[in-house]
Parts: sequence; structure tokens; C-alpha cells
Amino acid sequence: MLFWVIAAILTLGASLAVLLPLAAGPNRESSSGDHDLEVYRDQLSELDRDAARGLIQPAEAAEARAEIGRRILRLDNADAAGKASTRQVTSRLVATVAVLAVPLVSWGVYSRIGSPDLPSQPLSQRLAKNPADSSVDELVARAEAHLAANPADGRGWDVLAPVYLRMQRFSDAVAAYRNAIRLDGDSGMRQAGLGEAIAGAAGGIVSADAQDAFEAALKLDPANAKASFYLAMALAQEGRNKEAATAWQAMLGTLPPDSPWRDAVEKALVKSEGPEAGSSAAVKGPDAADVDNASSLSPQDREAMINTMVAGLDEKLRQNPRDPEGWMRLVRSYVVLGKADQARDALGRAISVFGAGSDEAKKLTAFAASLGLAATE
Amino acid sequence: MVETGHFALVLAFALSLVQTIVPLFGARLNNQRLMAVGGPVAVTGFALTALSFAALASAYASSDFSLANVWENSHSLQPMIYKITGTWGNHEGSMLLWVLILTFFGALVAAFGSNLPATLRANVLAVQGAIGAAFFLFILATSNPFIRLNPAPIEGRDLNPVLQDLGLAIHPPLLYLGYVGFSICFSFSVAALIEGRIDASWARWVRPWTLVAWMFLTGGIAMGSYWAYYELGWGGFWFWDPVENASFMPWLAGTALLHSAIVMEKRSALKIWTLLLAILTFSLSLLGTFLVRSGVLTSVHAFATDPTRGVFILCILTLFIGGSLALFALRASRLTAGGLFHPISREGALVLNNLFLTTATATVLVGTLYPLALEALTGDKISVGAPFFDLTFGPLMLPLLAIVPFGPLLAWKRGDVIAASQRLMAAFALALGAVLVTGLFVDGASVFAALGIGLAVWLVAGALTDLAVKSGVGSVAPSVMFRRFAGLPRSVFGTALAHLGLGLTLLGIVATLSFGTEKILTMRAGETVELSGHTLRFVGLYPTQGPNYSEDRGRFELIGVSGSPVGEISSAKRFFPVRQTTTTESGIKTLGLSQLYISLGDENKDGSVVVRLWWKPLVTLIWGGGLVMMAGAAMSLMDRRLRVGAPSRRRKQASTAAPVALP
Amino acid sequence: MTRKQKRLSVIAGGLAFLGAATGLTFYALGQKASYFYMPADLTTASVQPGQRIRLGGLVEKGTIQRGQGATVAFSVTDTHKSVKVTYTGILPDLFREEQGVITEGTFGPDGVFVADSVLAKHDERYMPKEVADGLKAKGVWQESKSD
Repeated sequence: MLFWVIAAILTLGASLAVLLPLAAGPNRESSSGDHDLEVYRDQLSELDRDAARGLIQPAEAAEARAEIGRRILRLDNADAAGKASTRQVTSRLVATVAVLAVPLVSWGVYSRIGSPDLPSQPLSQRLAKNPADSSVDELVARAEAHLAANPADGRGWDVLAPVYLRMQRFSDAVAAYRNAIRLDGDSGMRQAGLGEAIAGAAGGIVSADAQDAFEAALKLDPANAKASFYLAMALAQEGRNKEAATAWQAMLGTLPPDSPWRDAVEKALVKSEGPEAGSSAAVKGPDAADVDNASSLSPQDREAMINTMVAGLDEKLRQNPRDPEGWMRLVRSYVVLGKADQARDALGRAISVFGAGSDEAKKLTAFAASLGLAATE
Repeated sequence: MVETGHFALVLAFALSLVQTIVPLFGARLNNQRLMAVGGPVAVTGFALTALSFAALASAYASSDFSLANVWENSHSLQPMIYKITGTWGNHEGSMLLWVLILTFFGALVAAFGSNLPATLRANVLAVQGAIGAAFFLFILATSNPFIRLNPAPIEGRDLNPVLQDLGLAIHPPLLYLGYVGFSICFSFSVAALIEGRIDASWARWVRPWTLVAWMFLTGGIAMGSYWAYYELGWGGFWFWDPVENASFMPWLAGTALLHSAIVMEKRSALKIWTLLLAILTFSLSLLGTFLVRSGVLTSVHAFATDPTRGVFILCILTLFIGGSLALFALRASRLTAGGLFHPISREGALVLNNLFLTTATATVLVGTLYPLALEALTGDKISVGAPFFDLTFGPLMLPLLAIVPFGPLLAWKRGDVIAASQRLMAAFALALGAVLVTGLFVDGASVFAALGIGLAVWLVAGALTDLAVKSGVGSVAPSVMFRRFAGLPRSVFGTALAHLGLGLTLLGIVATLSFGTEKILTMRAGETVELSGHTLRFVGLYPTQGPNYSEDRGRFELIGVSGSPVGEISSAKRFFPVRQTTTTESGIKTLGLSQLYISLGDENKDGSVVVRLWWKPLVTLIWGGGLVMMAGAAMSLMDRRLRVGAPSRRRKQASTAAPVALP
Repeated sequence: MTRKQKRLSVIAGGLAFLGAATGLTFYALGQKASYFYMPADLTTASVQPGQRIRLGGLVEKGTIQRGQGATVAFSVTDTHKSVKVTYTGILPDLFREEQGVITEGTFGPDGVFVADSVLAKHDERYMPKEVADGLKAKGVWQESKSD
């Protein structure tokens, strides 16, 4: 509403700028001859100054004075040329069109290209509003802004780290966990989270770094289920399936009956023993479970499987491209797999499907940017 | 606030249409009321454009990512200064700055133009309005900075790291003030052609505007050159890059205009030529805008390339350049020619200056456009770089520079070369001495270097001679001399300063090119290197964290004669994660007028670092000379000659009895 | 000399000057402009050792070798052919494997291109235009559509 009031006032002001001179009484006319004469007089007095200062020789000054005099004479002749009569009708017409043009053009053009309903959204205001109304991205951004200002706030890092993990921003999660550990000290939970983040960043592979973290977690908290689970997973990934199965069996024995890990362990056990279910679900993006699934294969097989799944998703999107969710999954998959070029290519294709400038395209670009990926030209 | 800015922009567009049409009709119909509309509309249009620009700048300052433009070119962690300068660090914002300056100058003509004949003023404002309307339409149709995103992203994509520098705060606004300043000269020319007559006040108006535009363009080019010098890390100050040429051509043509406008003002001669030059100068500014903005050339300035924009600007270009030249062809014969003069005279010298400068402009134009034309015609891709310009531009400039000191010493109408030469004897002796000293006593000086230094000294001494002669050194008593010196018109100081600045710039260029040294080597922490008598020790690489980047800073110590450090220089590799871009921050130490320049390369596996070092003697004079030239222009602007009184009849009426100062 | 003769001589002088400048400009364009080639063009074009040219393409993967001091060797490729290049100096910040570059210099007698300048784009969003056009013409690189 306020916007429309301001717009109306601005339009009124602009129209007045046109209207007032038109409505004013006729100006006293001054012919251009008067102006020219003024300039020549000025030149004469300047000449006198220069001559008095000795900047020019008296002979030259006299010559110049004569020349200016000739110009003044010529001026009187030229000025005799008559003036065009004022044509009232045309003038009125031009004036009317001009006065009307201001509101018509401005409101006409603005209504086509403007977004009058969208308020300004300064970042600080968005971050200061009620957290309940904010999206996860906004909350994270708020936390990031807070931590950028107070990088020594260990608790802040501790809160943010698992959020990153859930958003699959693994490298940010690694950094956040490391900061939390550095500032607030070790704990089983933090070390286990760090291990999971490192593994996530490596596409689910429990690397030596991740193993170190999990082992540290178990040392601090022998009952840490996450650490036990992933350490067993590491064994499975090395092809030591028996040892892995044993470890998982042992976990089942110690886990409390309502533990959320029970389910995961049981599934892992089934997978480590039974034959692979195959890739019937190929059109699905590789979600966390699939990556887990894949991580129990040998490295070559795992890579092949993930690639098949991603390729399947890619293929599905080629046939049925109007699926923003699917594109997001595909872009994320490529990013997770470290294939930035393909991710960028997928983003480009998605945007061309929805048309640059469409809402979906913008959403996708923003999403990609949140993964650290910029669209290319 | 954002949408208010958007609306204000649209409203300014509507007003620019009114400003084009109404005063034009007014002037044709000789209707005072219609003509009077131009002034208030121009001022209001400027106020609305300023409001729009302020809205965009505040959106940048507050990181309002609901604007696509802000989202693409800003980041919440950027320092505030770069958030604000980011407003014009992109295509859309810089075009808004362009029209802001255009409307600002239009408003100045409106506000201070009461002493102009009414029809001239109306026509000038109409042409100015037409240029504005074209560019407002361009912005709204192809480059609108107020496109919104909903929902707004939470983080922006960061400003191009190369542009995150204080240079961006200064270089584009100065350059645009120059480019757009010439639009006023253009509007005056077209207005004169529309009327079919040139008023006596014409030259008195065009000259200060040329001075203003030329002053800012000089500053803009000098600033751009220094920015490229320290930011790109190549140690060069001028690359004959097409984008640089795009700003250099209006400067050359503008310099010619500056000089021919003097002849026109003083002697009413060269009228038609001056008018044509004014049109050409602004046309070259438009051409520069086209080349840079259309994506025909890719460079750091091509923020985003988009064919529709190119076509649009090409249309604007054709309309204004073609239209004005056609008008010129139709009407120029109606204009009366001015006074006569002898070839050996101040006028003759200025004509010679114009001949050289316009020819030089033409060679730069050919060198810039020929590769584009060749590629379009044959598909062959060539690059025209320094070797071409050394061979063509150089030979044109040398004789021009050699005759510069004569110009101000020649009398109007009929000059005396022999008398002028006698007065310049001392300057010539000084220059000859400089050639001999450089050639005989400086190691490794080539003939070119010695002559170049001599030419620079000749320019500087010639400028000082002009002042000395005009204040009567050697012919009158010292007390009279001082009084005369103090009483000299400001424009005399302006001329001398501008020519002096030119000499200083030349001195810097010749010294840097001839006596500069450079070394490329790999260094480990603790190692020392010697360059032209300066010893530098590499202290080591230190990683640090900036607001939106991380950097490896290589620190160097300058070792004094005693063996202890006397200064520190550091150069850094910066990594900007959002854009995944690395930039090099060069390390520069100014010693007197010279500089030590260090650029850091990649770190090798064994921990050593590639380092490139330059010794650049007198290099600061290159830009210092530019500042002196600007000071000269400013001095000239303050000359009372450039103040024009209103017709006396009105002077009696109005309460403001004093002549109005310009601008 | 009469006034007319004087005026004619001034005009003739001016024209002679312009003629000389024009001649010089076109001579310089013939002599001093350097042509742009992609590696595959070099099989058909005759480039003498010592002739200044610009060579553009992609930095071939795995060919960057740092040699003595600040000298770097790498290959520029258009995927059909590749050319070995040596350069002494600091490579631009945007110089990376499989990124577009333009090098300027001359061929040595041994067929290695000795570059005295290496340009990568200032802005990582763009390919150097010449390189992009050349690769597109060879069907190697496709422009991805996006905003």
C-alpha cells in the first residue's frame, strides 16, 4: 500500500514538472541576438584586460577589437530575420500529449515489468525475523552470519554441524565439527559426527581419516552406536565381510531395544550376507541408504552402481524433464560424486527446460549455489 | 524501497520522452511555454534517476538478494565498501550509473543555462533527453537491475574478485563522467545543426564542458591504467587492449576538440570542424560503450554478454551517430565560416595539433576495429597489439609532442616562429642536455631512451617557459614579474599544467620502458635476490583469512645498505571460494617516484615459490602526469573568461545581478 | 605565392600527411598483426619459425611440467592435435588443466612454441572467445545453455 502512495506522489511530482511551465505566464522573450551581444561585450572587456596586463601587443589588440566590432555589426543584420508565428493548436496538442504521457507511460510500463507486491528483503531483516517463519536455509544462513562474527563460539559450531550433515553439506560439516572439537573439546558424539561427515564427503567411503575419528569416538564413549556401525562398515568396505558381520552381530547384542540403529544394523547384516538385490531401483537417485548400500561393494562395483543409478536418473529426466525435484537430486548427485562439470551441465539443461528466468530455474540455480556450484554461461 | 527505485526509473524514462519532444516542438514553433518545459523536466528526471540509483545501492548495501542483480554480484560477507561499489561493478548497475551521470549533466544545463538563448537551450535539452530516452529504454528492455527473485536466495554469488578493489570505486565513475560529459558537447552540436546557426555563446559553453569531460576522462583512464597495473599482476600499465582503446579514442578526439574549441571561441574560426569533432568525440564514446557492452570484445569489462544487448546498443549507435552525421551533411553548409589566419599562428599550431590527434585517433580506431572486420569478412583471427601501435601511433605522436611548446608562444592570427624559438632556447638546451646525459652516463641507455627523455624534458621545460615568458621573466623588474605572474589568466596556468603533465607522463613511460628491470625466479624462505641495486629477502608464505577469501601472503623484506631490513613488501594469492577463483595481489613499494613491484606465482612441491620482480623507475610519473593534466583542466575551468553573463536587459530585471558561473 | 597557391599547398601538405599515415597504418597491419591459430590449423597454415602468432586451445591434461626455475612446459590442444609450449614467467591465476588459454610467441627451430605471454580469461565464466569459436567449429565444445 505504502508503495502505491509513494508511486502516486512521484507521478504527481513528475507531472507537475511538465504542467507548471506550461501553465506559467509567458516568459519575456529574449532574442538570441541579445545573448550574442553579451558574449561579444564580454570578449571586448577581456581583450581590454589582456591588453592592460601586457599579454598582447597594442596592435594586435586593436585588430582583435575591430574584428569583434565587425561581428557585432553582422549580428544586427542577422537578427532582423523574422520569427515564426506561434501556432496555438499544435502547441496545445503537444502540451496535452506531454502531460498525459507521464502517468500513462510510467504506469503502463511499470505494470508490465514491476513487482509491486514484493517488499525489500535486506538480509539482516530476513535473519532477524521470527525463526519459526524461516526456512532451513535461512536458519543456517543466520547461524553462519553469527559464526562469521563470533568464530570462537564452539556451541554454535556444535549446533550447526549436524544440520550441515543432514543437508549433505559434508565439507562444511567437517569444518564445523573440527571447530566444535577445537573450541569445546572432544566428545564421542562430535568425533562420530566428524567421522560421518568425512565419510559423507568421500561419497560414503570410510577412509582412514574417518576411521581415526570413529576410533576416537569409541575411546571417549564406548557405547557410541554410530562409531561402531561405521567401523564395521569400514571392515565391509575392505572386503572383510565376516569381521564386519561379527561386529554388527555384537552391536545387536548391546544396543538397547528401542535404538534407532537396530534397523540400520539389521539391514546392513542382511546385505553383507545375502546376494545383491541388483539395481532394479535404477531410476531413483542415490539416497543415503543407496550410498550405504553401495559402500558394501568393492570400489569398482560401487562406482559402477552409483554411476548406473545416476545415469538412470539422468535418462529419466531426459524423457520426462519437467521434474524440478528430480533435477535437484541429479545435480546434488553429481556434486556429491565430485563431477562438478556434469552437475553444471545438468543444471544448464534443467534451466533450459524450464526457461531461464522461470521460478523453477531460479530455484534450481539457488539450490546449486547452495551446493557451491555456479551456473556457467 | 526497491520497487520505489524501479518505479522511479520507469518514471524517469517517461520524463525523458517528454524532454525530447516538447522542447523540440517548442523551439520549432517558437513557443516559450513549451520550451520552458525542458528545464524542470530535466531536473526532475535527474532526481528520479538518483532515487533509483540510491535504491539499488541500498539494496546492495543491505544484501537484498531478492534482486537478481544483487544476488549475481554480491555476497553478504563482502566488506561494505565492495558491497556498495558492486552496485556499478556489473552491466546493469553500470548502465544505471551511465544514465545517472547523463541526467545529472542535463540537469546542470537546465539549472545554469538561463543565460543561453531559449531555443538553443531547448534544443540542447531535447537532444540530451533523446540520448537519455534511448538508454533508459535499453536498461528497461534488456538490462533491468530491478528484476526480482521470489523466493529470494539466501546468499549471493559474489562480485568478480578482480573487481573487489578500491579501483572499482573510482575508475568507472570517473570514466563515465568523461564519456557522458561529451554528450553535452554532442547535444550542443546537434542543437546548432537543428537551428542552422551557431550562437556566439556556443563555444563559450562547449569549451568548459569539453574541459570537464576531458578532465574526468583523463582521470578515468589514468586510474584504470593504475588499477590494471597493480591488480592484474603483470606489471604493465597499458596493453593496447581494445577496451582500453575504447576509452583512449574519445580522449584523443576530446583533446583535439579542446584545442579546436579554443580557436572557435577566440577567433570564431573552425566552427564547422569543431562541431564535427564534438559529434565524433561523443560517437567514439558511444562506440566504446558498444564495444565493451555488446560482448563483441571479451574482457574483464564484459560482465555478461548477451546478443540482444549488442543489437540494441548497435541500434542506438546507428541512430545517434548516423542521425547526427546526416544532419551535419544537410546543415553544415548553412553555417558561416569564421575568421582567417596565417598558417604560422596560434590557430595554425592548433590546426596542426588537430590534424595529428585526429589521425592518431583514426589509427587507433583502425587497429581496434580491423580485427573485428577481418574476422567478420574472412574468418581470419588476428590480434593487433603493441607492435602495431608502436609503429603507427608512435610516429604520429613524436612530432606532435615536439611542437607542443611552440603553440602557446605563437600569437593569434599571425605568429613568429623565430621569436618563439628564441624564447624556447633555454628549454631546448635543457632537453639537449638531458639527451646527452642520458645517452652518455646512464648504463644501457638506447638512442630511443635518450631521445625520449629529452622530449619529455623539452615538454616540461617548454611549459615552464610559457609561464616565464608570459610573466615577463628577464624583461621586467622582479616585482612587476611577480605581479604579472599572479595576474595571469587561469587558462594560461591550465595550458602550462596540462602540457607539463603530458611531459611528466612521457618521462614516466620512457623511463619505465627503457630502464626498468625484471627478474623471474624461484625462491625459498630466507633467500635474497638483488634487482637494480635493491636487495630483497623472501621471509616466507603466511596463510591468512580475509572476509570472503583466504590468501597465502608472501612477505619480502627490503634490505638496506647496513644489512638490516628497511621496509616490507608483500604479495598474495587470494582464493575466493564462492567463485572458485584465485587472484594475485601484487606487492608494491614506492621509493621516491619509482616502484618495486612483486608478483607471486605458484608454490612448487618443494616449497619454493615462483616470484616475479620488477624495478620500475619513475613509474609513478605516468599517473602523476595524468593528475597534473587534470589539475590543468580544473585551473582552466576556473578562468573568468568561461563565465558568460546573461543579456543585460535581463540582468537589470533579475535580482541576481552577478554573472552566472559555469557549470 | 598567391593566397590561392598558399591554400593549395596547405591542403596538399595535409593530404600527403594523411596519405603517409594511411600507408603506414596498412603496412603496420600487414607486418605487425599476429594471427590466431588452433593447433590443428598449423598443419595447413605455413608458419615460419620466428613469426609471431597467437596459439589458442585447451591446456592438455597431465602435460604441465615445471622445469628449471620459473619455466613451465605444457601442451595446448584442440583435441585433434596438440602443440608443446614453453613459457617462462608466472602463469595467470586462471591457468588450469583443460581450461582455455591463448599464448603468444614464436615457434623455435625445434618445433616447440616459445610463448612470451599466456592469457587465461580474467573471468572464469567465459572461454576466451577465439578458443570457444575454434572449438565449436571443430565440434569439440558445446555451449551449455543457461541463464
